[in-house]
Amino acid sequence: MTAPGSTAPGSTAPVPSIEFEAVSFSYPDGTQALGEVGLRIEPGELVAIVGQNGSGKSTLVRHLNGLLRPTSGRVLLDGLDIRGIHVAGLAARVGLAFQNPDRQLFAGRVAAEVAFGPRNLGLRGAALDERVSSALEAVGLGSDAAANPYDLGYSRRKLLALASVLAMRTPILVLDEPTTGQDARGVARVRAVVAAAAGEGRTVIAISHDMRFVAECFERVAVMRAGRVVLDGAPDVVFGEASWPELRRTYLEPPLAAIEGARLGLGSTPTASRFVAALNDATGRGRISVG
Amino acid sequence: MTNTTAMAEASQAESSVLPDFVRRIPVRPYLALHPVTKATLAMVGAIVAFGVRGWTGPAVVFVAVVVSGAVAGVLRRTLPFALATIPLVASILVVNTFLYPNAKDAIVTVGPLTPTWTGATAALQATLRVVAFGLSAAVFALTTPIDDLLVELERRGLGRRGAFVVGSALGSVPRTVERAREVTDAQRARGMDTEGGLPRRFRGLVPLVGPVVFGALAEVEERTMALEARGFTAPGRRTLLRKLPDSRPQRLARWALLVGSICLVAVSLAGAVKLP
Amino acid sequence: MTAGLVVEGASYRYAGAAERSLRNVSLELAPGRVIGVAGANESGKSTLCLLAAGLAPAVIGGRLEGSVRIDGVETTAIPPHGLAQQCGLLFQNAATQLSNTAATVFEEVAFGPCNLGLPVPEVIERVWWALRAVGVEEIAPRDPARLSGGQGQLVALASVLALRPRYLILDEPTSELDPAGTRLVAETLARIARETGAGILLVEHKMDVLARIADEVVVLAEGSVTLSGPAAAVLADPRLAELGVEPPAGVRLERAVREAGLEWSTALAEAIE
Repeated sequence: MTAPGSTAPGSTAPVPSIEFEAVSFSYPDGTQALGEVGLRIEPGELVAIVGQNGSGKSTLVRHLNGLLRPTSGRVLLDGLDIRGIHVAGLAARVGLAFQNPDRQLFAGRVAAEVAFGPRNLGLRGAALDERVSSALEAVGLGSDAAANPYDLGYSRRKLLALASVLAMRTPILVLDEPTTGQDARGVARVRAVVAAAAGEGRTVIAISHDMRFVAECFERVAVMRAGRVVLDGAPDVVFGEASWPELRRTYLEPPLAAIEGARLGLGSTPTASRFVAALNDATGRGRISVG
Repeated sequence: MTNTTAMAEASQAESSVLPDFVRRIPVRPYLALHPVTKATLAMVGAIVAFGVRGWTGPAVVFVAVVVSGAVAGVLRRTLPFALATIPLVASILVVNTFLYPNAKDAIVTVGPLTPTWTGATAALQATLRVVAFGLSAAVFALTTPIDDLLVELERRGLGRRGAFVVGSALGSVPRTVERAREVTDAQRARGMDTEGGLPRRFRGLVPLVGPVVFGALAEVEERTMALEARGFTAPGRRTLLRKLPDSRPQRLARWALLVGSICLVAVSLAGAVKLP
Repeated sequence: MTAGLVVEGASYRYAGAAERSLRNVSLELAPGRVIGVAGANESGKSTLCLLAAGLAPAVIGGRLEGSVRIDGVETTAIPPHGLAQQCGLLFQNAATQLSNTAATVFEEVAFGPCNLGLPVPEVIERVWWALRAVGVEEIAPRDPARLSGGQGQLVALASVLALRPRYLILDEPTSELDPAGTRLVAETLARIARETGAGILLVEHKMDVLARIADEVVVLAEGSVTLSGPAAAVLADPRLAELGVEPPAGVRLERAVREAGLEWSTALAEAIE
């Protein structure tokens, strides 16, 4: 396993593949949260995990950095079981940004908060400063480095928490509800971060309730219900009409673009741009007349 | 969510009668006692266990507590409390057996250590007192929901703020524990080492304690507003929904036991009555 | 008596703050209507909620210029427990609104009426009424600390309704809920406005919720009102995006179609309804 901090600053460690091998998890009081989940994520994939609250999404991703350990089954990074590695060790490979920023902010200055993660990974001096400033730039907080985190509004605190994970430059990035509570600008920032990470070849996994964010930014969607993955595929498959009965059972609705595309017989159109393209196509061929 | 049968049942239930799950009147013998009675019993138990000289006092309390615990069905759950007294009991045994002043009847002599029979007897008696008291407190805690006690105290004039402060402090413990767990997860996910030597663990306190405290403080303002928004500062007495059954015999018994136990202790300490 | 929650030319500065958080804001909430409030974060939406409910300046201090009136009476002239009976306020986080002293949902909802010292039969009646109005009478015996996010918000809503306020002010109530919970809360609010005649002021990021249930929408930017009017018109306004607000899905789709040079015919629009 790569030791923490051994990668050259600015470069990404090789991105590992992820495999959940029949992972089950039950809480100490007996409630089962995951039932034999099997999922394989290749390096560089962009995967969104959706489902009702309580379906096991958060439980699943907490297995990636060892916060939770399977009660049965294995979690593999690059084919190797992570069972023996403790959380601090996995933090170099899997960065997990939590939903509620106020559960982690403790430093008096924004820059110190962002430095916490990379410092734990062994960085110091100029390398550390570089990480901090580039992470802050990535989320649009470059000019707030000296501010007190609690002087920032909720939206920017959430971006700060994201920056503190980005600064660790982990090959795998996991985001738990990154757009919840964000205004339009905040959402745009999050999308930019996801795109940038994708551009660098990282694996990005996001839990989200925002179906539009999911359909437009991710190439694969895993739908969870009652601790199991019930649908898994590209957005046009998961939000396509054939999947609607299953989605309904999960109390999820596909994005509006998908619903309208199906209603007009345009095939699967999970995003507005796909809808427009399909509409263009169909009107060009005279199938739909628009006045 | 609403359907006609639920509404029909609801309007039946609505006839100004408090639902059972709110009244929560226990049926089992000991549990059905009024909370102030149970508190009095615990207090009397403490007074007699520690105040009466000789074995009888603590022995009687011990037996009474075990019986009431069994009747209430909580005896098994008193075990952790009993085990919690072990450190104290151990030190009592050691101190008294080996260091009882002016004791001459040594059991055995091992170098400088001379355990004495007098000391050992005193130790055992002290142990019995501690255990009897501990179990008495345990039975009280296990058979008296906090809510019952607070309702009664408020009924007797505690005031809504007092009752609220105690009740909500206790009620917020699980939430604080959960928040602490979330904070720990978030910091560990950023590579914080929770294993390692003491200095490292100490440095780890700020990232752990900070967010829990700040979070709680930041919530205070919102909670205060939420309380205001629910009329907490309205004048006059707060309506208390629950009423716990009391009876004249119980009231008399409470006074009798309290006064009686104090007299017993006074008499025993004065040496007028010698109990074994 | 003029019915309505009226904010007139209100400017507000928090205690110790250098800048005003709200500048010259006016709006009028009539009973039975739903007004949505949108805007970027830190545009003053939460401050507006505190102001409308009378908690600012009365409880949290700060300086108010202008007037906030509930049914003709200035909020500064009403004591907090009186305000609570006219104007219910709900926050984002259901957990901070729990009293933490109630063993059952029933007692949690009873907390408000009990605080007012109402007789027991009336408390019971109000609790059942509130539970039914929100549709959660089935969970009356449950422990409030163990509810799901959506249920928690509904219980908080019932707790506030039990005081029978004429106006309800909600600050991002669906923010932490999943899509099903969001729909539930939105539909419940619309139904309460219809059935009880309460006026509702709803701050939201999710424009789809406002598109569904709001009669009017007000958009705040840096403490001032920039857009206001009937919901359909405001939500279709092209300036929403630059004000930091994401338009509802239907509006976005329509815009995408038009930008591609296709006509948005009524046939298409009807198909989308």
